[in-house]
Amino acid sequence: MKFLIQLLVTAAVCALLQTFFPWWSLAVGCVAVGYGFDNGGFRSFAAGFLAVGLLWVGLSAFIDFQTASILTQKINRLLPVNAFLLTGMIGALVGGFASLTGALAAAKPKRKW
Amino acid sequence: MNVFKTGLAALVTLALVWALNRSWDVGQSIPPLGAFLDPFHGFWQNAEAAPAREENLSLPGLQQPVTIVYDSAMVPHIFAQNESDLFLAQGYVTARHRFWQMEFQTHAGAGRISEIVGEKALNYDRSQRRLGMVYAAQQALASMMANPVSAAMIQSYTRGVNAYVAELSYENYPIEYKLLDYAPEPWTDLKSAFLLKNMAQTLNMGERDIEMTNALKLFGRETVDVLYPDNERLGEPIVDHAGQWKFTPLAIDSLPLAVPDEFITLPPTKKIPAEVGSNNWAVNGKKTITGSPILCNDPHLNLSLPSIWYIVHLNAPGINTLGASLPGAPAVISGFNDSIAWGVTNAQRDLVDWYKIQFRDSLKKEYFHDGSWRKATPVAEVFIIKGKPAFVDTIVFTHHGPVVYDERFQPDRELKHYAFRWVAHDPSNELMTFYHLNRARNHADYMAALDHYSSPAQNFVFASVSGDIAMRIQGKYPVRRPGEGKFLLDGTRSASEWQAFIPNEHNVMHKNPARHFVSSANQYPVDDTYPYYINGSSWEAYRNRRINQVLSESEDITPTDMKELQADNYNLKAAESLPAWLAALDSTQLTPAEQKAFATLGEWDFYNQVESEGASYYEAWWDALYPMIWDEMRNEKMALEFPSTYTTLYLIRTQPTLTFFDIVATPEKETAREVLQKSFREGVAALEKWKAERGKNPAWADYKNSFIGHLLQGLPAFSYHVRHGGNHDIVNAHSRTHGPSWRMVVSLEKNGVKGWGIYPGGQSGNPGSKYYHQFIDTWVRDAYLPLNLAALAKQRSQALTITTLTPAAP
Repeated sequence: MKFLIQLLVTAAVCALLQTFFPWWSLAVGCVAVGYGFDNGGFRSFAAGFLAVGLLWVGLSAFIDFQTASILTQKINRLLPVNAFLLTGMIGALVGGFASLTGALAAAKPKRKW
Repeated sequence: MNVFKTGLAALVTLALVWALNRSWDVGQSIPPLGAFLDPFHGFWQNAEAAPAREENLSLPGLQQPVTIVYDSAMVPHIFAQNESDLFLAQGYVTARHRFWQMEFQTHAGAGRISEIVGEKALNYDRSQRRLGMVYAAQQALASMMANPVSAAMIQSYTRGVNAYVAELSYENYPIEYKLLDYAPEPWTDLKSAFLLKNMAQTLNMGERDIEMTNALKLFGRETVDVLYPDNERLGEPIVDHAGQWKFTPLAIDSLPLAVPDEFITLPPTKKIPAEVGSNNWAVNGKKTITGSPILCNDPHLNLSLPSIWYIVHLNAPGINTLGASLPGAPAVISGFNDSIAWGVTNAQRDLVDWYKIQFRDSLKKEYFHDGSWRKATPVAEVFIIKGKPAFVDTIVFTHHGPVVYDERFQPDRELKHYAFRWVAHDPSNELMTFYHLNRARNHADYMAALDHYSSPAQNFVFASVSGDIAMRIQGKYPVRRPGEGKFLLDGTRSASEWQAFIPNEHNVMHKNPARHFVSSANQYPVDDTYPYYINGSSWEAYRNRRINQVLSESEDITPTDMKELQADNYNLKAAESLPAWLAALDSTQLTPAEQKAFATLGEWDFYNQVESEGASYYEAWWDALYPMIWDEMRNEKMALEFPSTYTTLYLIRTQPTLTFFDIVATPEKETAREVLQKSFREGVAALEKWKAERGKNPAWADYKNSFIGHLLQGLPAFSYHVRHGGNHDIVNAHSRTHGPSWRMVVSLEKNGVKGWGIYPGGQSGNPGSKYYHQFIDTWVRDAYLPLNLAALAKQRSQALTITTLTPAAP
């Protein structure tokens, strides 16, 4: 349950931050949320990974749907892998490692993660 | 907290963010992936949904409200209440659709591409600056600023563009900035000057002085006159006014030709492809069904995306004009208004010379001129290079112009110093021409407008509702002595320099000729009685004759007939050459594949239609034949030029045993007949290979494989292949890369001017917009958009979207 809440909070915080700041602000958000939840390293990583990955894929899918894939098709010819997959992976990786960093910073010593 | 683990995780996070926030060059450039893929700000944001129905914006610098109605083709109809607001709004809407292109093209003109793509463009940038492009643009800007009307026009336009630039942040940068990881910079008045000089470079920098000088040394005068005649004497010139030139020409003392003794191993400047050209014509009411003139124009340029043209309708008190504009410059360039229509084709002549400079010493501070030492001006040019420290190049300017090649640039070549003289280096103010043409009411206004025009020289066609048609070849042309300008010149004395320019009133022109039409297609400009010597690097030989033939045979012409003529695929060159070629072949020596090709060619109707296989065999044959004949001209040590297509075909016909038909690499002695046989074999082999690779028959459109490439070296994701007929030397002049970049037909009817236009692209420069490529299919079908000059109320009722601009509070 805590995992799910962290995931949702991370996504919400990142969406809010990214509305105003450049893309890397999501890392700041993930660190903060990860620290606050203190949910263990692995779970925190997974929560951040999924939260940002889904957020990015979700928003790009929404844009893609609204614009009838007009640009996605072209960018897919430019990228070595599918645009959604790459977008999701890039967002997820940064989200995951940033959340992990936050969790580790919050973790009490000796606690296993 | 485990400091080690936390530190490690933090480090990985930071490293990821750092690596994904910068571009990488690993043979191929990779954008900053985090920023690029971020759906909140990255490329996803460039995908456009349908525009909102209405939009209200406030713009700084505006005096009164402006209404912009976009029609279903995304053509803006701009209704302003004064001129300053009109050009401000033109700058603003053009930038909204085309800003990246505007900046990229002016960077190309200014030699600043290394700033975007890095060191690989440095040679290109240096050669641009060494050709004096910066100097030329500065001269042009000074002239524009000296005239209050053009100064106001250009400044308003710049304000409008910058109102757009001020709105930009990363998420709404055009996608190319995100891909190449750089940022837009504010527009300047000078950039508009660069754009015009870019056009001058594309259209009016053609020359072959180095090649002709080498040919003269190698082959002698007589052969040069046979291979490269000044006038090929075919068909009709643009203006045939024999015996009617009633002015006294300016006379200049004759000049003994002082051609350099040595072969010139300098690299020649970039050549203008022969596919750069244009058609324009106007027929008067005697030939049309409505009794009103019809005017047509189609400039042939490299077809690129975003397109070179942008359609715009400009309306303010005193002006109501519609047509093609150049993104980056105010006004309409080829278009019409309520009273007149006009269009342009290139009027290339020799407007370039190379002067051999004798420097006093290696410091190059002084050079010899008319018996004394004259001071040279060194100009330091700084090149900002992406990912590298800046580079400084010093360019030495003489009074002739810049010394393009020297120890610092292309030094592996023989160190000869030649200064580059180009007419577009001279001050001129072409904007005034378009300012006045846009509001012209009659022939007199058109004539007065053209008096402002210098470069790039153009054939301006004209027609009016009042029934006049006219053609005027307008540009700043040096008065040439016979033979002058064909070869390299001596830079040590003023006697070999340009002494005077042909006065405007002596330029080639006519109005309402007896044949009831005027036309131009880059052919030789004028009849033999014109009193000035004319020299150019090439003259068009086929399109012009086909157009004149069709126009002279036509009666009761409708706009539809004119659209059909613009799309005409009749291959006059093939009709004139192929029967004799086929007759020359020894058909007993043909392989089965060659026999089949022979039969296909025999049945071909000489039309380069989409599905014609005959056209493919003919063009493949020609592509093999032409270089095979002129193998003598492919010399690794020095630059030489192939004679023209027409001269080549003429020599096959009239002098089949000329030594040039011999293939140097073979022991036998070939004549035209053997070369035809060999090239036929080669051409068929090329097509057999093509067929084997693709597993289909060579329909002409597939074999030609025309391509409309994005300005970034044809980036495939943003480019299109199209199936279309035509070719160079055909009225529908669509080759693989070049073609009719804008087609316009205007019927100047008394109860309302009707116009149609199309270009192979779309109004938006954004690959993420459906308006990026919206016109391509229409253009390929040789169809048109209606161009509607109607007033605001009517436009409003047909609007796709309406933008209201209001003055921003200061």
